[in-house]
Amino acid sequence: MAVGSDLTRTIEALLFLSPGSVSAAELAEACEVPEDEVLEAVAGLEAQLVEGDRGVILRRVGGGFALASDPRAEQAARRLLSKPRTPPLTQAQAETLAIIAYLQPVSRPEIARIRGVSSESAVTSLSERGLIEESGRSRFGATIYRTSALFDRVFGLEGMDQLPDLSAFDPSPEDERELRERLVAAGEQRNEP
Amino acid sequence: MASSLDLDLYLDLEVFAGPFDLLLTVLLREEVDLLELELAEVAAAYVTKLEESGEIELEVATEFLVLIAALLELKSRLMLPSAEDDLAELGPEEAIDELIARMLEYRRFRDAGQAIAELFEQERGYLYRSAPLPPAFRQVAIENATKVYEPEILGAAIGELLEPPARPDLSHVKSTVSLRSRLNALRAALQGAPEFDFDDRFGRDDRLTQAVTILALLQLHAEGEAEWRQDTICGPITVTGARRASGSVFTTEREAG
Repeated sequence: MAVGSDLTRTIEALLFLSPGSVSAAELAEACEVPEDEVLEAVAGLEAQLVEGDRGVILRRVGGGFALASDPRAEQAARRLLSKPRTPPLTQAQAETLAIIAYLQPVSRPEIARIRGVSSESAVTSLSERGLIEESGRSRFGATIYRTSALFDRVFGLEGMDQLPDLSAFDPSPEDERELRERLVAAGEQRNEP
Repeated sequence: MASSLDLDLYLDLEVFAGPFDLLLTVLLREEVDLLELELAEVAAAYVTKLEESGEIELEVATEFLVLIAALLELKSRLMLPSAEDDLAELGPEEAIDELIARMLEYRRFRDAGQAIAELFEQERGYLYRSAPLPPAFRQVAIENATKVYEPEILGAAIGELLEPPARPDLSHVKSTVSLRSRLNALRAALQGAPEFDFDDRFGRDDRLTQAVTILALLQLHAEGEAEWRQDTICGPITVTGARRASGSVFTTEREAG
């Protein structure tokens, strides 16, 4: 039990020092204990730092663990650190980010093809916000993009598999029928003299 | 069209990196979207190349102009309201099917984007430590590195940087008179005669050479190797070699070295 408490304390210290998410394997290597012991200790720490009790909470993000502040402290923290609140995503940014998140790695021309409009500005903004990053070039030399490690943290995801399945957004047959009817109606209206 | 152009132009653009000929090929195959291609950058790259090479092959330049103009025209057409034009060749039913397929695909990602934006709002309150790791704890784990570029390509690029650049062409630079050569000339003159008239010895040289020789004489004077005397303004200059304790006239720089 004493060893377990020591391990919990050590892990808390390591997470406090680490600027990014730390995986169970990394913690196990640093603490020189098996991974299952780390997971057990993390579970104990998680119970101590459960949301609502303390100012700091333990979160499972980006395939590892990270300490974060309680959302109720957000405004005060931003005032203390003079950080303006992160602006919400615009519709163009959200659509572009969704395409990159689900189809990554993906090039800008492909994003533009799906959205039907140029997405240069949205891609640039998302890059500047650190949510996406370049991941090389396509075989024709176009820059291709993927989501960044920050994306996992900002969206509180342990991994990309935590995103809702893309099929959840498949338009229903009713949507398709409604679209078809609207298009046909629009076509007929145009053909009228 | 592409193969006939003898233009060695390499492009590094946002949507394409490679030779101009290949760009034409992939554009024709519609593997690169012309709408995404900045034609101004292509033209700028060509002008830069012309400046670097310093010569214009009229046939190649003309062909490039024709090609870039054709691409500009094509791009202009594409930028005009085009969705309906693309579908004009299809029958009404096929056009509707095509349009619906596109709109449904967009709608899927529009809704996914909405979910992403909601998730973003929900998670926005959690703040993570943003301070960097203390320097003593920083390390780079090579196994965590992910390959972004092919090592061969990166190696080749760095290799080019390490190659010594070609010697600059100085053929346009006129010959100059160096202070060192005039110092040597003065020292040689002093070795031949401990005292001489400046005009006798250097009067036939051009004005620049004479001016630099005067500067060299000043240098020798400062170093105690020579004295000079000019009794009247614009009168003759007599140069005298200073003697060392050994009594010998100063050695030339080469001998001293």
